[in-house]
Amino acid sequence: MRPRRSGLAAACPSVSVVFPGAVNRESCCRFACELLKHVLHQRHQLPLPYEQLVYFCRRAAQGGDMIKKSSSVDLASKKCQQMLMDLEGVLQHLEVMFSLTLVPRVLILLGGNVMSPKELYELNLEGIYEGSAEESLKTASCVRKLFHSLFVADVFSELKALPVTDTVVMLQGHRDCGVDWFRPKLNYKVPTRGRKLTVNLSCDGGINLSASPPQPATSTWEDYVWFQAPVTLKGFHE
Amino acid sequence: MDEAAGDLKQALPNLCNSVKIHVEVLQKSSSTAKKEDIRMSVLKLLNRHNIVFGDYKWTEFDDSFLNSNVQSVSIVDTELNLKDRQPIDLSKSSLSLHIFHLNEEGPSSENLEEENEDIIAANHWVLPAAEFHGLWESLIYDIEVKSHLLDYVATTLLFSDKNVDSNLISWNRVVLLHGPPGTGKTSLCKALAQKLTIRLSHRYRYGQLIEINSHSLFSKWFSESGKLVTKMFQKIQELIDDKDALVFVLIDEVESLTAARSAFKAGTEPSDAIRVVNAVLTQIDQIKRHPNVVILTTSNITEKIDMAFVDRADIKQYIGPPSTAAIFRIYLSCLEELMKCQIIYPRQQLLTLRELEMIGFIENNVSRLSLILKEISRRSEGLSGRVLRKLPFLAHALYIQSPSVTMTTFLQALSLAVDKQFEERKKLADCV
Repeated sequence: MRPRRSGLAAACPSVSVVFPGAVNRESCCRFACELLKHVLHQRHQLPLPYEQLVYFCRRAAQGGDMIKKSSSVDLASKKCQQMLMDLEGVLQHLEVMFSLTLVPRVLILLGGNVMSPKELYELNLEGIYEGSAEESLKTASCVRKLFHSLFVADVFSELKALPVTDTVVMLQGHRDCGVDWFRPKLNYKVPTRGRKLTVNLSCDGGINLSASPPQPATSTWEDYVWFQAPVTLKGFHE
Repeated sequence: MDEAAGDLKQALPNLCNSVKIHVEVLQKSSSTAKKEDIRMSVLKLLNRHNIVFGDYKWTEFDDSFLNSNVQSVSIVDTELNLKDRQPIDLSKSSLSLHIFHLNEEGPSSENLEEENEDIIAANHWVLPAAEFHGLWESLIYDIEVKSHLLDYVATTLLFSDKNVDSNLISWNRVVLLHGPPGTGKTSLCKALAQKLTIRLSHRYRYGQLIEINSHSLFSKWFSESGKLVTKMFQKIQELIDDKDALVFVLIDEVESLTAARSAFKAGTEPSDAIRVVNAVLTQIDQIKRHPNVVILTTSNITEKIDMAFVDRADIKQYIGPPSTAAIFRIYLSCLEELMKCQIIYPRQQLLTLRELEMIGFIENNVSRLSLILKEISRRSEGLSGRVLRKLPFLAHALYIQSPSVTMTTFLQALSLAVDKQFEERKKLADCV
């Protein structure tokens, strides 16, 4: 279940972010959610950043009844609403999942199918030291640091445009965490094909942490299995 | 019940002991239980019920662990190895358990030309897929088509495992199913892929089924078609490179691809088309070297297929229209389904053909309906499987139109529907 860093690191780009202290579970969830929104926009599955899209959609819903829309605009807005609804669902359930279990890894898979996606974004949280709310770093500053690293690494600029496709979210969690929305995929193995970007998050090991042990003992790693979100996010253009 | 079965065991001396029995265990989609735990519980269950007569399926369990984690436990394909329905002692036969999850997503599509997103060149499933669940059981053939196909792939894998030199003994992983339309060739290919994925789940983590739309390989640009084929097979090659995957490539109506060469000789086909054929043939030669790929092809008209292709296929299986016995079983499964959905009500016990034979086809209260069905089956001979599966629907639509009927009424309607089918066929033939 551990990532095979050695074999793949050379072939696929990766971004590593080291936080100068412990990070709490809620922040980890925010990283996953923000990365998902960012990837969807950067890879042309959303025409606008998520927050803007939500804003426009809400405004259109409030004042849109007066203007008679053409059918093509109507269809586009239906797709938009569907996407936003699905995405909102995924984000909410990510929160639930993170509250139930430690999540060592999150995958965002674009195109193809889950076994052979066209593009794959992996968020690796194995190196995170989990702290309690008081002794952890502020979520906002961590998110800023993560995105700063992403912009500096400039990972999205030279990619070819991707047609509208399906996006699937997968994550690892404890076998007995009791989540019922995500579907367990016991046989799943992280694909090696397709374009892959790994985002490694870790905490500076030098700090003295009296808090909970960072990771479960190696013997219990096999109890961390893959779960798949039961909805596919269908991208759209305006 | 166990005691009764035990008595029966003594009464029937030719109990087959060392047969290999396959048990398929479908894990619930929400279950995260470990395979070993499920295996232990299922073995316990089979230990308690150790005599079965042919295929059997459990969907409810007295064990709460199984209840919460397992959808069904089925003993399958016993009829492929054993001709007659006889008691099987599970404790004495070698059991192989296959525990699997179904993938609920539908097919994803592959496009070849980046700028042209609309043309789907291939459909792509991750197996075992929920879509194909139960397909294998629904396909009924007289001759041992199904067991042949399974045995063939088993041998293929054995040869690959033992590293038999493929220069000395050559074997291709190419299957060609041919026969008249509507006999379930394509369905059989898909079901076979599903079955093998389940059977070989101990070796391969998952299966991939790629159904190629052969017409999409012909480009609108002259001389581009060959390149499209190469591109397609490059994608397949990528999938094959994953040694954990068992890859099935399904080329439906293969004659549309390979008929071109003879037409070229006659001067009716442009040279671009022949490049497609040649590209397909060389690409098949390329990928057949890999142990984890099976190429499945179907054709309606075998004479039209290029000999170069026919030679490449190891198994050339003819799939013909069903015989009376097979028709009877097809109808039986249809009626069973209608009784389950309570469209036919009240439930009536129908006898199988073998049970009818055992009582010597004597008409009595128990066998009366079954004998009528047998008569309908006899008259239906010549109809294809596709039509047969449609007839119960037509019977209801044309002659019944009420939400619930008795078996007797339904059989009358079915009989009328069969007559109508032949009448229409005659009319069509007269027009031509």
